[in-house]
Amino acid sequence: MSSSVVDISRPAIQRRTLARSLRGTLKGGEYTWAVAFVVPYIAVFLAFVVYPVIYGLWMGSEASLYRELFADPVYQSTVVNTVLYLALGVNVKMFLALLLSGFFMRPGRWSKVLLLIFVLPWAVPQISTFISIHWMLNGEWGFLNNVLYKLFHIEGPSWLNDRWSALGAVIVSHIWKWTPFWTLILLAGRMAIPLEIRDTAKVDGATGLAGFVHITFPLLANLYLICTLLSTIFLLGDFNAVTFVSGAGPANQGHVLATIGIRNAFELAQPRLGVAAVMSALPMVIPLVIVLMRKLRTAEVQL
Amino acid sequence: MTNLSRRSVLRGSLALAAARPFVGPHIAKAAATTASVWFAQGFVQDEDVSLRKAVADYEKASGNKIELSITPFAPERQKIVAALTSGVVPDVMANNPGEILQIYGWQDRWVDVSDVVETQKSQFSETAVVSGQAYNNVTKKVGQYGVPVRAAVVPCHIWRPLVEKAGFKIEDIPKTWDAYFDFFKKVQDSLRKQGERKVYGLGFQVTANGVDPYNLFMAFVLAYGGQNIMTKDGKLHLDDPKVKEAAIKATAYLGGAYRDGYVPPSAINWNDADDNNAFHARLMVMDVDGTLSTEVAVKEKHPDWYFKEMVTHGIGYPTDNAGKPIPAIVGVTQMMIPKGAKNVPVAKEFLKYFVQPKVVGEFIELGLGRWLPVMPSLAKSPFWQDPKDPHLRGYVQMGLLGPTVPDYYVFNLAMAEVRNQHVFSMAMIDVAKDGVKPEVAVDKAFKRVEEIFTKYKKA
Repeated sequence: MSSSVVDISRPAIQRRTLARSLRGTLKGGEYTWAVAFVVPYIAVFLAFVVYPVIYGLWMGSEASLYRELFADPVYQSTVVNTVLYLALGVNVKMFLALLLSGFFMRPGRWSKVLLLIFVLPWAVPQISTFISIHWMLNGEWGFLNNVLYKLFHIEGPSWLNDRWSALGAVIVSHIWKWTPFWTLILLAGRMAIPLEIRDTAKVDGATGLAGFVHITFPLLANLYLICTLLSTIFLLGDFNAVTFVSGAGPANQGHVLATIGIRNAFELAQPRLGVAAVMSALPMVIPLVIVLMRKLRTAEVQL
Repeated sequence: MTNLSRRSVLRGSLALAAARPFVGPHIAKAAATTASVWFAQGFVQDEDVSLRKAVADYEKASGNKIELSITPFAPERQKIVAALTSGVVPDVMANNPGEILQIYGWQDRWVDVSDVVETQKSQFSETAVVSGQAYNNVTKKVGQYGVPVRAAVVPCHIWRPLVEKAGFKIEDIPKTWDAYFDFFKKVQDSLRKQGERKVYGLGFQVTANGVDPYNLFMAFVLAYGGQNIMTKDGKLHLDDPKVKEAAIKATAYLGGAYRDGYVPPSAINWNDADDNNAFHARLMVMDVDGTLSTEVAVKEKHPDWYFKEMVTHGIGYPTDNAGKPIPAIVGVTQMMIPKGAKNVPVAKEFLKYFVQPKVVGEFIELGLGRWLPVMPSLAKSPFWQDPKDPHLRGYVQMGLLGPTVPDYYVFNLAMAEVRNQHVFSMAMIDVAKDGVKPEVAVDKAFKRVEEIFTKYKKA
């Protein structure tokens, strides 16, 4: 009998302890207000984050979907394209952004004016610019081939008819569009390096390339890595550049995982196969997110 | 400020819940006479205006309310797939794309509408009725899930001034298949000699986007005698030598014309309306494209183009190489009621109203005749037989009064996936771009077709 009393009272104590720890120092009406403010956020989080993720996992959970996906010849070229798009798109862009952020650190009004012009591609709406690029590259009446013909009497090729030049056009368009954004982020990172450190390094003779290699880059390295990881995750989900620059062509050879997901879901009217295509990127995304989280924690300590 | 306590929040919530029954009946009453209808946006504004008019007339006649949602063509397709996946569906939707009816019919997702079709059964063409049927893999039966409202075929569109500039007349165009298309190669050669740098003879959609390339390929397969690629029982006959020969000839002609420079290079990336735009820009002398969208799009802005310069070959559409007429493959717009629709009675009542010959005939005619009627009696109207209109008579002859067949996916859903995966486009492009032998390209395509068909074996 006594043991049953103990058994019943233990969870009650735990519940009170949990309630107390949740309540913290809040009292009476304050606690109710706190709950009232948090409930909408939790509801939105459950409805728009937790539910879609679980629904997506459920939709893409059948093994047969992946067998069908891997048997699709379009999927095989899609994987190659995605790897190339990520490797070149992210790294060339980030490296350029790193160099350009150094350039824009130069003092003077003209560099500020140049910076203003430089960020324009990032500021303009992306879909209309990508469509413009698509038209510029048209083989018959595109701007590029017309210029070639007017100036040199050369009949330019159909740029988007070849798998590799079409993918190249997509990668260049992406780099052109997003380099300004990452340049600004790295510029902010450079500006956060205390002047004292740079001045001290100069006194010790670390100027120019030596200053960059021994002072600037080590201090920017974490930020650079975080930006690279973030950019990789963003790029994995990028639908616009491929769709509007090359149309995933020619002959469906230009798809990446984000676009083939849409193609499978809506053009083939097989939403589960579309989700499976996107889910097949998870083995790449999950390690990236884990590394990103770890680096963010490290960055907290360093800065 | 009043303190908000846990009890006050609970009291407020209870009060709101208690008030619900007094607010509810108004909404419930409205829902009983309201149906939602989804339809794809027209290529010209007149199509949407004509639909709105038909809906408004129904509302006036019935006292019911129709919540009409008109969405552009491509997003409409996504909207439908998303709705059927989530289960949040309207009361009526059109099959955009056409094979949506068969895809979800297989999954038992439509309400049977044979009672609606029955009201006008004597009026509908057989092709139109059959196109609204689908095999239901749950009931293991073929059901009538679509109510036909309009149709389309794939005529040829030609620029008269370009033909004449090349030194020919429209009347010079041969009547048999290969000679017909070879003619436009001669036109291109002649125009090039006159210094026209960017004019191509043939507007073939040698692309892997949209439904045009499949329609084009199948038109060629039929012309070369391969109509038995699939029979009405849904069985595939790729081992039939005639079928294989037709597929090889179609691949060779379409891919070869591109490879030899008679098709605009950008055709490999064309999507949906790109061939219309290229034709309007006079990039090519002729285009093979579904519906009269090419013509009606310019009717108001460029009446000279419509009435004098553009020629539509519906009458004039070539026969096969032996001189026999080729049946036109008809794509039929069907209206379906998805299972889970909130107001099936109003949906059916609306459809019964909409498919009355007078109503549906006016709907099509106010849309400028881009689409064909699905009732042969409507083809006799002054609108379709107007002698002053250079396009409509031929178009209605080809797609309604002449020999027609439904698309193959009606008999076996697998063909819809073949179409959507662009299997035959890949064969054309292999020949066009990479110089692959047509026999090899067709073997590869047939292998893929067989793989797809194994997924849809009827029990």
